[in-house]
Amino acid sequence: MRTLAIRTVRHTVGCALGAATALVELPLTLLCGLALLLAGVRPGATRPVPRPVRAVAAALLGIERRRLARFFGIRIATAPDDARALRYLAVRWTLGALGGAVAVLVVLGIAYSSLFVYVWWLSAVRYPLEVALSNLAGLMLLFLACQGVLGTVALEDQLARRLLGPSPHDALERRITELATTRAEMMEAVDGERRRIERDLHDGVQQRLVALGMLLGRARRTHDPARTDALLRQAHEESRAALVELREVAWRVYPTVLDEAGLRAALETVAERTPLPVRLDWAVPVPPPRQTGTVAYFVVSEAVTNVVKHSGATRVDVSVGRSGDRLTLRIEDDGTGGADPAGGGLTGLARRVAALDGRFGVHSPAGGPTAITAELPCAS
Amino acid sequence: MRIMIAEDSTLLREGLVRLLAEEGHEVTAAVGDAAQLLVAVAADPPDVVVADVRMPPTHTDEGLRAALDIRARWPDTGVLVLSQYVEKRYATELLTSGDGGVGYLLKDRVVEVDEFLDALARVARGQAAFDPEVVRQILARSTRTDPLARLTARERDVLAEMAQGHTNAAIAARLHVSLSAVEKHINAIFDKLGLSGTTGYSRRVLAVLRHLGS
Repeated sequence: MRTLAIRTVRHTVGCALGAATALVELPLTLLCGLALLLAGVRPGATRPVPRPVRAVAAALLGIERRRLARFFGIRIATAPDDARALRYLAVRWTLGALGGAVAVLVVLGIAYSSLFVYVWWLSAVRYPLEVALSNLAGLMLLFLACQGVLGTVALEDQLARRLLGPSPHDALERRITELATTRAEMMEAVDGERRRIERDLHDGVQQRLVALGMLLGRARRTHDPARTDALLRQAHEESRAALVELREVAWRVYPTVLDEAGLRAALETVAERTPLPVRLDWAVPVPPPRQTGTVAYFVVSEAVTNVVKHSGATRVDVSVGRSGDRLTLRIEDDGTGGADPAGGGLTGLARRVAALDGRFGVHSPAGGPTAITAELPCAS
Repeated sequence: MRIMIAEDSTLLREGLVRLLAEEGHEVTAAVGDAAQLLVAVAADPPDVVVADVRMPPTHTDEGLRAALDIRARWPDTGVLVLSQYVEKRYATELLTSGDGGVGYLLKDRVVEVDEFLDALARVARGQAAFDPEVVRQILARSTRTDPLARLTARERDVLAEMAQGHTNAAIAARLHVSLSAVEKHINAIFDKLGLSGTTGYSRRVLAVLRHLGS
């Protein structure tokens, strides 16, 4: 009740201020209309409008935006151009007039509804019935006036959104830009991964195979049976190591368990393969669609790898949950923090998540702990 | 021989050190990047340097740059570069760097211990050693406009051997023909490729390869 009263008062003050700004907006509108008429141009052009008038319009718009935000909680993200600003101001003054009227009605309503009190204070009540009725009518008026204030605020909101907010065309353009960016970033991320795979193959598997070949070559060249034997034993060991390496690389390229047994099993495997204790908290009743699962897997596995490599942590907590139609991931460690969101690995992850229209966050103050969060759309 | 090794993979570096030690060579330094290699060579130039092309920090062509640098500053030290792939650009740069004392092998060639040691010895002697794969790729570009297309199969064999840096005597032995037959083939090749019969051994290789790689 109290907050409602405070809000009504705030709205009413906003409306009254709106009426004050309308006193400037109306002459400004007339002036612009005159300028445009004289120039005889099509609507929408701003050039014939003199620069000082446009400057005043821009300043007014700033005041209006602050008023909308401060008293009504309406926030318009985009910054409109001159033409849209003028068009808005040209219509806005009507709402200013309306707002002023309802503000006056509110004041009147307050005055009438408390009539009984004054009369009682000032003199004896001579016509109690009439006073009481007037008082009742005042309360009714106050109620209606408050409704009027609310209606005016709703109109202000609609008008600002229609004339100042992003038009459907703008929204589409923004979406296209966004898609083009994420597409380019996705390509970049894919290339980066390919480079990593190539490096893994060359610096790991190939080196091992060359070393193995060298051992065998040396074994063939020596004429000492004991030596040959020792070299062959080494070569045998090396071949095992090469196979392990190859398995590791293949796993890093794509964990087949993801397709065979799903995200949960793949994440459990990540936990088993990590040298640190990893606690997996799984709260997803329905398995996510495959694409979401793949991205989620890479986010967790890359984040955990980062923890092992850079953080000096002693444990990692991974939680996977579902909120509404989104899959939520959180990877937390007790390490030294200071992870750089602009670093290679994290950028790659952010791009993967962005390509699915998800959200990605890194919270890593110096001194830790680090938390990496991701939200992925998960319509099922 | 006194040899230095620059290779960032510890596994391979140790393997090479052991292999060369077993063959009675002296490995005077084994380092993991190009900067350390240059420091080591400056301190005590060896007979030959074996360097990986890709090394830290950028893993692109540090080893090759260092090799070219060494050839320019210490003419008595040969360089044998090991590469993951056949990169014709690298081969060309090494070839045009000067007069022999260079080699370019695929890394996997180390597995053929005999061939590797042979290449190393040739580079140390100031000759050239190019991987058969490099040569094969360069020769594979035969078209009708290519003068190479005018060579007979036997002449191509000889050219391939020659391009790898083998001497006439070695070519004769490898192809099981007489030395005079090899010389005849080589003269025919020079005629068909429009090269004057230069004598110097590595100059010849360079001329041939330069022509083919252009």
